[in-house]
Formats: sequence, structure tokens, C-alpha cells
Amino acid sequence: MSSAPLLAADRVRLYLTLVPYLLERGQVTLDEAAAEFGVTAAQMRAMVEKLTVIGLPGDSGYWQLPQEMFDIDWDLLDEHDIIEITHDVAFRRVPRFTAREAAALLAGLQLVAAVPAVADSGLVSGLIAKLSRGSADAPPDLLIAPVEVTEVQQVVSRALHDGVAVAFRYQAPDAEPTTRTVDPRQILITNGQWYLQGWCHLRQAMRTFHLDRVSDAHLTEIPITHGDAPVPAEFGGGGDVSDHVTVRLPERVLPLLGAFPYEEIDRTDAVVTVRMSMADPRGIKRIAGRFGGALEVLDPPLARCATREWASAALDLYTVPEASSAQVD
Amino acid sequence: MTPAQIPAEERLTNLVVALMATEIGLTKQQILDNVSGYRQRVEAGAKPDSLEKMFERDKDELRALGMPVETIGDPADPQDMREARYRIPQADYDLPSDIEFTDAELAVLRLAGSVWSSESVSADAQAGVRKIRALGIDGDEPIIGFAPRIAVQDAAFPALQEGIERNRVVVFDYLKPGEDAPTRRRIRPLVQVEYESRWHLYGFDVDADGERTFLLSRIVSDVKVTGQGFDPVARDGAAERALAGLAEVAASQQALLEITPGTEAALRLGRRGVPAVQGIRVPYVDRHIFADELATYGPEVRVVEPADLRDSVIQRLHAIVDAHAAEETAGEGSAE
Repeated sequence: MSSAPLLAADRVRLYLTLVPYLLERGQVTLDEAAAEFGVTAAQMRAMVEKLTVIGLPGDSGYWQLPQEMFDIDWDLLDEHDIIEITHDVAFRRVPRFTAREAAALLAGLQLVAAVPAVADSGLVSGLIAKLSRGSADAPPDLLIAPVEVTEVQQVVSRALHDGVAVAFRYQAPDAEPTTRTVDPRQILITNGQWYLQGWCHLRQAMRTFHLDRVSDAHLTEIPITHGDAPVPAEFGGGGDVSDHVTVRLPERVLPLLGAFPYEEIDRTDAVVTVRMSMADPRGIKRIAGRFGGALEVLDPPLARCATREWASAALDLYTVPEASSAQVD
Repeated sequence: MTPAQIPAEERLTNLVVALMATEIGLTKQQILDNVSGYRQRVEAGAKPDSLEKMFERDKDELRALGMPVETIGDPADPQDMREARYRIPQADYDLPSDIEFTDAELAVLRLAGSVWSSESVSADAQAGVRKIRALGIDGDEPIIGFAPRIAVQDAAFPALQEGIERNRVVVFDYLKPGEDAPTRRRIRPLVQVEYESRWHLYGFDVDADGERTFLLSRIVSDVKVTGQGFDPVARDGAAERALAGLAEVAASQQALLEITPGTEAALRLGRRGVPAVQGIRVPYVDRHIFADELATYGPEVRVVEPADLRDSVIQRLHAIVDAHAAEETAGEGSAE
């Protein structure tokens, strides 16, 4: 719950929706209204009390008459923490969406359109039309390029929906493929990548699986048994975080680490040293590739060596052998 | 009550009520004399100049909140704003009554509103959802099990969004890979596009006299929203043009790759390409970004062609090897 101070503009904006919300619902508890509007109960009480000094302009030089002002049921508020507007002078109707509100929802809709539960509903195009037409000004366009949903994504979504375990082949980087059976708990979609979080029957623990590494997925008839286990941190990797890798990189490329968890150790002259948690320190070799030498692996030596050898082995692919006479392999 | 005790939100809210209650509009003087928050200041003897300025600021603030504050000039002389009247027309303010939402639609919109990691965009999405709740819609059970997220890590994003919303030319420094210094760009921003997990700006480049696509991650300065406006009609169909442009680039650029089967590279790249006689052909939009990705796969992939992509990958691999030379002792606090 936010308890940040509200700016004057925030309060005005809040009133425009709060009044029709209260009028529509009659009596609303202070806590419920506060939760709905993302403010504290104390802030909501102050807002509602303040409503009673809002009203139509009076004639020059005269105070406004009671029927020209908003009013609330004070006893109900003071004794029962319940809000009820007893007289209203404006804001009966819900305002249009602001251009920004519409834009934020429209872009979100484009993203969730790929979620099977949403796609199946067939509601997206109608909602896009309603939001666009209900917007005060043309929303500033945000476009999320549509991506085709793969068969694996469909199967995993179905398993989640049906509440059964899903079985698949999992190919983690630098490891032998394994067959996994997983009780699906949540599907995370971020940066266009899909991840399944769930209880892994093989590891007997919650794990995160990158769906690009999943193949041969199929539904089982095993009902899920760990549906209420806590979801792991969004990107704790898929394994036991038992090791650390220390890397150094220019400040300006730090955002490229993205959602990968790290801890900053030092920042000097726009160069940052961070420590990253990794199940296998050698895995840093792949991440380092993205930085093209701007990121230097400092420690452990094993990780540094793996990074060098990884790039070096790749370079070997491009080494043209000395030209020689025709040869038969 | 002394004027100092009347807070800004009270004055602003009273102003909205007054502007909505009038059909013919109110003059500035009527507002200052009658609306609570101004009236008390007039009575306390505040200078007319400062009160008028306060009203101008308030008016701008309401417009920034999306309120349709209309200015009606003197019909005989539209340029003469001394007797201008102000009002908020109900028809422009109200959500049209024929727009209705179902419980199922609200559930979808709640999920759509939950995707933003950026706090300000998220607040806008929540405010939109609340308006539907205020219509009396409770919504179906939330759609659980899915956590879609849109990450906006680019610092340029909010200012570009403001430029698009207000139809204003934006100015920023843009650094293309391989160039020594950034160039200053003046752009009429039309749409921001997330394509292959990266944010792009599509807009009209005033100096280049044509529509161009920019990667937000290559904007190296603050984005300045200028006072120079442009005709919003340019935004019509811009999203489609931007997407078509990106798709066209991807279709015209294809890399021929050899990939070791059963590896991470085979999984990730295999989905995006089509098998060829020798290896696999994978389309890409930006050579530098694709080279960054290919370098992560190490010896799992070899670029056959085009040559410029192959050279970019080789150059990255050399840089990685050089940065991790064997002789240097690793560890913190090593001497520079």
C-alpha cells in the first residue's frame, strides 16, 4: 500500500473517479475505498472529509449554500468508517480515459493477447476499440509486436489451466538433456521470453524453466500437488545458487544485465564491479558474450578461464587452414 | 478562512466543478470572483496579475490531467481573448454512455494493467482500471497463473512518450555502433514499438526528411521535448508502418549459420530460422544486436554469411579473448 504524499493534481484526478465510484456503490468502507485507490485509510478519510468543501461557485460575495456543496454522512464515517455521499453537485459520470491511461492499457492488452486464457476469450479486439473510443485524446501509440504462440507454450498453459502436471524434455545449457515432470504454478512472460515456474518432481523443489529449452511437452493425468508452494524469485536461475562470479563492466552497459540478480561491490570512474549469483560460475561465459569484451570476468579463475576458452573455441571456427594441396580427410 | 489555508487541490477541484456546471462558459473574472480558492484571495487583496497567472497555471494543470478545458473567444473578434470564456463540455468529459464493460472484460484489463514494471505507466494503467470499476463493474475472478511483464529500462522512454502525446518535436543525441561520435537528431515522434524485446522509436527525421526507426538503447543524451509542434495526422497508421518496416528489414537480411545440434544455440536460433542446404537461414533486424547474441553461443554457431555479420562476431570474440588474457591475475583491487 502506497503511503506517499499525494500531489494536488493526483488528488483532483482521484476525486473525478472516487465520486462516481461512491455514488455507484452507495456505502463503501474506508478500507475498501483506500485499497481500491491505492492510498492509506487515513489519506482516504481526509480526501472524503475535504469533499464537503467542494461545491458550485457562489454568487459574488456570498458563501455557497448547502445544496451547492458536496455532503457526506458524517456519523457513518466517524462511527463506522463507512463512506456515503449524501449530496453531490458534480462528477456523477465517470470521466473518459486520459490518453496515457488508454495507452498503458492498450499496450498491456497487446502483450496479454498471447496468454491463452485471454486469447480464448475473444475480448481483446473489442476492448481495444472501447479504450480507443473512450479516450479523451488520441492515445500516444505503444506497439508490442505480436509473437506467435508456440506449441510448447500452448501445452504448458493448458496444464496450468487444467491443474495437471506437464512432462517435457529439458535441455539446459552445457548439460545433458533431462526429462522433467512439473506441477505448473505460474507462467512468467518477460522480454518476449516465456518461463514456467513450478514444482519439479525430479528435483523435488520449485524451479524456473525457460520454455525455449523445452521440447516434447505433453500433459499428464497427474493432478498437481504443490500448487500452493511459494513461487521462486523471478530470476533466481533454475538451480541452487551456491556460487558467485565477480565481473567488472562500464556503467553504461550495466542495464544489459537485465533481470539477472547481482550485487554491486564497487563503482569508480563509471566502471562498476558486481557480484552475480550463479549455480555454475562457468555459465558466465554466455553472458559475457553479449558484452563483446566490455565485461570482464574477474573471479573465480575458473569462470574467467571458461569465458576465454569459450570465445577462443568460437574463433577457431573461423580460422582458415593454411592453403595446401588437395587433401582427403 | 485565510487564503493560505485553502490548498491547491481544493481550488483546482472547485474550478473543475465550476467549469463543468456552466453551459456558456465563465470569464476569467467570474472565476476569480466566485470560485472558492480564488475568491478568498481576491477578498484578501491579492494582486490581479498573480491571480490571473495562477488561473493560467491551473488551467494548464487540468489539461495535463486530460480535462477538456475549452476556450471560447469573442465571436466578433476570435483573436480577442480578454473576454474569453472557459468551460468543460460534458460531452467531451464523460465516458460515452454506450461504452460498457463486462466482468470478463474487466478481468482481462486487470491483467493488461498489471504488466508494467515502470511505476508511472503502471499508475496510469491502474487509474484506467479504476474508472471501469467506478462504472459499477466488479469483474470476474482474476486470471491467475500468468505474469506477463513489460520492462522499460530505457531512460528515454517517458520523454518520447510525452513528445508523442503532445505532438512535439523531440531532440536527442544518437550513437550508431561503429561511429565515433553521436549525432543530434530532430524527430517528430510517432510511435514507440517493442520489437524482439527492444524498444524502438519510429518517427519523422526532420533533417533526413523521412520516417526512420531508432533504438532507444542508442539514445545517449537526455531527450528534450521542444516547443515545436507538428500535425498529429502524421501519427495515423504510424504503428503499422513501423511494424511493416521492421518486418521488411528482417525479411531482407538473413544470416546463414551452421549450428551444433542439441545446443542452446540450436534451441534458440532453430525456432527463428529455416533450414538451408548448408545450415540454417535466420532473419535479423540489426547486425550489431544479432552479433551480440551470436557471440553468447560461442562455438555452438558459425556465421557463414553475410561477411559483415561474420566480421562483427569475430571482432567481438577477439575482444572477449583479449579482455580475459591468461597472464593477468584475476581478483579485486588489481592494479590498473
